[in-house]
Amino acid sequence: MEKKRVVVTGAGVVSALGNRRDELFDSLAAGKSAARYMPEWQSFFGKINIAAAPVTLDQEAVKKIDRRFRRSMGNAALFAALAAKQAVAESGLDEATLSNGRTGCVISSTMGSSSSIVESTAAIIEKRFDDLSACQFFRCVSHSSSFNVANLFGISGVQLAPCSACASALQSIGLAFEQIQSGKQDVIIAGGSDEATPTVAGSFQQLFALAENENLPAEKLSRPFDAARCGLVCGEGAGILILEEYEHALKRGAVILAELAGYATNCTGAQISQSDHVSIEQCIRLAVADAGINPADIDYVSAHATSTLAGDKEEAEAIRRVFGAAVPVSSLKGHLGHTLGASGAIELAAIFEMMKHDTIISTLNLKNQADDCKGIFLPDKPCSKPLRTVVKNCIAFGGVNAVLVLRGYQRS
Amino acid sequence: MTREKIIELVNSIFIEQFELSQEELTPDKKIFEDLGLDSLDIVDLITGLQRKFKIPLRQNEQIRQIRTLDDIYTLFEKLALENPDIAEKIIN
Repeated sequence: MEKKRVVVTGAGVVSALGNRRDELFDSLAAGKSAARYMPEWQSFFGKINIAAAPVTLDQEAVKKIDRRFRRSMGNAALFAALAAKQAVAESGLDEATLSNGRTGCVISSTMGSSSSIVESTAAIIEKRFDDLSACQFFRCVSHSSSFNVANLFGISGVQLAPCSACASALQSIGLAFEQIQSGKQDVIIAGGSDEATPTVAGSFQQLFALAENENLPAEKLSRPFDAARCGLVCGEGAGILILEEYEHALKRGAVILAELAGYATNCTGAQISQSDHVSIEQCIRLAVADAGINPADIDYVSAHATSTLAGDKEEAEAIRRVFGAAVPVSSLKGHLGHTLGASGAIELAAIFEMMKHDTIISTLNLKNQADDCKGIFLPDKPCSKPLRTVVKNCIAFGGVNAVLVLRGYQRS
Repeated sequence: MTREKIIELVNSIFIEQFELSQEELTPDKKIFEDLGLDSLDIVDLITGLQRKFKIPLRQNEQIRQIRTLDDIYTLFEKLALENPDIAEKIIN
């Protein structure tokens, strides 16, 4: 059976650098960093200079979500709902299409709402059962963002949440892509969402993977591929795309942002705390082959690169082996921090704007390309280039990789 | 405890937890049909009433029979009579 073409007809974003796609792009292009020190986390870390890149929620937009939907949303689901509202509005999908059973919802995050999990655990341990809302469990579960968004829009098709830590968003989009390719669904609301919390940052700190350098301002801490990189800065937010079968989108006259051309996901099967260049290279090659093209056809690689010592090195080596220094590469983690399970989708939303503006956003805070990240082309400032075909990488704990290939829309 | 005080305390739960306005909260209002609560909200209503009145309610059979706001007010008038120290325990 011939695979169906899949296009993107909407993309919403909630991020620390803007709660709209164009705002996010303008902040990225201006070289802004969302990272700041978090004195409000002092009781957890015992010091005030732990950095994160938190979202400032648009409270007016929050209030517009009816309480009956909002009550079961932790912040992760709330971010997803707000981003999904933008994406659905942009797509122009009507209620009948959303609820006809041919529209699905595939959204995931690292672990549901991490702040809600902490609240619940504390209340249970301290026997404060009256502090537990009836909806608390629904905020905690791993598929919270997915079913909350599905309920918000009356979705009655597939509901999935393939949680794989920091590859969650890209795996969701990849799975949704395959659902539509196979003809099982016509439309899927797909993406990822996540929260920056002290417990998550503390978990990275325990592994020496959290950026800490008292001599640097917070906005300089996340520096992917740089010789002075010292770990990641936790970010948060959501990115939600509307994926749609090509003919379905054409028939209703939808505006097409891009086409999903190829996808692959794999794992090392050997390491839980990081991936390796062998499996990342394999994953990139599989995704490019799935798109029916060659590495030489790729115009830009949006790296996962979170600014950790081991992660950036392995990914740079994989990119070098596939593309050499021929293809421009950048990471958006210098601007946004690592938005964890949301990162793939937030960064795709930014890529749609890069494609629209024929502009590559370079890696913020990259001053001296590290020796162990040499051999790849990392532009040192934003540059103009027509972006017809783009690779997006995501890499996660568990030794998991996911790679998506995007193509600028071309009518057949 | 006066009926007025009971109404004030019960209504405060509907305003704070269920984002309803004071004007909507007339005694004849049916909790499900008129005020829009559902089974999950009833769990939170019981928890909220427990917190507000310092009385355990989860195993109380009468709380399961409430249909209107007036049913709640009347139930708590009865519970206040049965528990004369209730007013002292309430911390607003």
